[in-house]
Amino acid sequence: MRNFEDDPTLEDLLTSDQLKRLNRMLSALCREPVEISGNRDSGAVALEFNLETVGWLSGGSSGQERLAAADLVSFLMMFIAKYRLAANLHHDTTEASYAELQKQNEALKASEARYRALSSQLQDKVDEQVAVIKQAQMDLYESARLRSVGQLAAGVAHEINNPIGFMSSNLKVAGEYVSDLRQMVPDTDQNRELLDDFADLIGESSDGASRIASIVSDLKTFSSIDQADYTLCDVNELLSSAVHLLQTEYGQDLDILEKPGELPKISGHPSRLSQTFYNLLDNAAQALRAGEQGTQGGRILAKTSVDSDGVRVVIQDNGCGIAEDIREQVFDAFFTSRPVGAGTGLGLTVARDTVRAHRGTIQIDSREGKGTRVTLSLPVR
Amino acid sequence: MADHSPEENRLALKVVFYGPALSGKTTNLMQLHSLLNPQRKGELMVLETRDDRTLFFDMLPIGLKGDSGLDLRLKLYTVPGQVQHDSTRKAVLSRADAVVFVADSQAGQQDNNATAFGNLEENLDKVGLDIDSLPMAVQFNKRDLPGVVGDAELQQRWAGTPWAPLQMASALHGKGVIDTFRVLLDRLYTEVDREFALHTDHGIDRDTFIRQLSAASEENRA
Repeated sequence: MRNFEDDPTLEDLLTSDQLKRLNRMLSALCREPVEISGNRDSGAVALEFNLETVGWLSGGSSGQERLAAADLVSFLMMFIAKYRLAANLHHDTTEASYAELQKQNEALKASEARYRALSSQLQDKVDEQVAVIKQAQMDLYESARLRSVGQLAAGVAHEINNPIGFMSSNLKVAGEYVSDLRQMVPDTDQNRELLDDFADLIGESSDGASRIASIVSDLKTFSSIDQADYTLCDVNELLSSAVHLLQTEYGQDLDILEKPGELPKISGHPSRLSQTFYNLLDNAAQALRAGEQGTQGGRILAKTSVDSDGVRVVIQDNGCGIAEDIREQVFDAFFTSRPVGAGTGLGLTVARDTVRAHRGTIQIDSREGKGTRVTLSLPVR
Repeated sequence: MADHSPEENRLALKVVFYGPALSGKTTNLMQLHSLLNPQRKGELMVLETRDDRTLFFDMLPIGLKGDSGLDLRLKLYTVPGQVQHDSTRKAVLSRADAVVFVADSQAGQQDNNATAFGNLEENLDKVGLDIDSLPMAVQFNKRDLPGVVGDAELQQRWAGTPWAPLQMASALHGKGVIDTFRVLLDRLYTEVDREFALHTDHGIDRDTFIRQLSAASEENRA
């Protein structure tokens, strides 16, 4: 590309038509025709422009005439060249400005693309945050629901406790009355059948009432109705009494092996700890019952020991185990794998809350069909 | 960016008069045109002006022949000083071999001088030239006007730069114009001689270079 400042040639300054016309006009002024060309003929005069020879002028009647004509042409050249220079410069600068504009345009496009990407990322981030908020709202709603259910349960438990108390005691008395009746009425087949059935009815009702009482007691613990003060507890003693309670419930054929270790006393809430141990033992007993061999051959191990973390309580069974797909849910309140009415779904929830209240941990290891081991760790202080 | 063509034995150099608007760049060139009588001198081309302001540029070609037949040309350009003609300034500045910075001595113009100098530095950078290595002379013009910044103060201010000492001029009255030009030629010769061996190959020594290109009309007559 030529620069605007390059010295112009004859062709740059004049087109061939313009050159012919100039030749004609100059010839008309001179006595003999003159001609401008790029070739140097003998006797030709240099046409100078800006120290540069741009062409040669020949012809004319004399050297003087040629010089005069050449002067005139040089004079004209200056104005033509001025225009050329200005036009070329204008062209150059316009082109440079355009190139710069294009560069700026590219830069703008790139920055726009960057902002576009940023804005779509922003949308993703907003969506993400909205999801988090939604989840938090759900959790909040869920916990509020659970709290209200807990309050309702506590209320219901409190109200049920009294009637169930006198129902149980009345049924007990009614059972004694049936025994009394047996001696009073004539001993006929019909009477005997009637009284046996009567005794069964009362027995079943009594079982039902005690089941209601146990559910109510679970509910009360769950909703922390009876908040007693913390005292020093002997874990072995609490565990042992829970074992005895369970054996009363299930009968002596339940094989529970106790392995108490030497333990320091811990600061704790005795009734809640007892409830926890009972719940875990009850789960173990249920697992045996649901297992292949039933309670026969089934065995529960209740072991205590002490280590750097504090008191360890292990309750292990060789029952049915916990199915893998529900293992995540076992601590959820009201979740139960037992038939409707057989479990409140609060046993492990109560256990976990109790352990947490004692700043301890609870861990469940289970293999379906092989058994379950629950390990509680309770800090001494 | 000297334009050297060995086959034609020609060397064209470009000198650009740069500076803030209305500092007297064109006046410098017009004075050079009328005061100088170098070996060869072309026509001063004053391109379009409006209200005495340069729109495009002015150009004055001068030249000399060396002993080797070297056809050495110097093209002297001015740039438009007004801010809006920056792309023209850049186009004229490209491939320059030397710069004369014409500053305005009036106290109120010192900010404009600084802005124009900054613009020169920036534009040189854009066209691939380095202000520190480019031969340059700095002239403070309009010394004849009242209220100009004092000589001593200006000289002191520029003392630490490669362009000291400054040239003081009153271009309108033809004073200091040729002196400035000679300082420039001196600095330009150093660079050109190094690159094209003017002295050894073409028989043009420093003194010849400066004298031939800046011969004043009256000196010549004498």
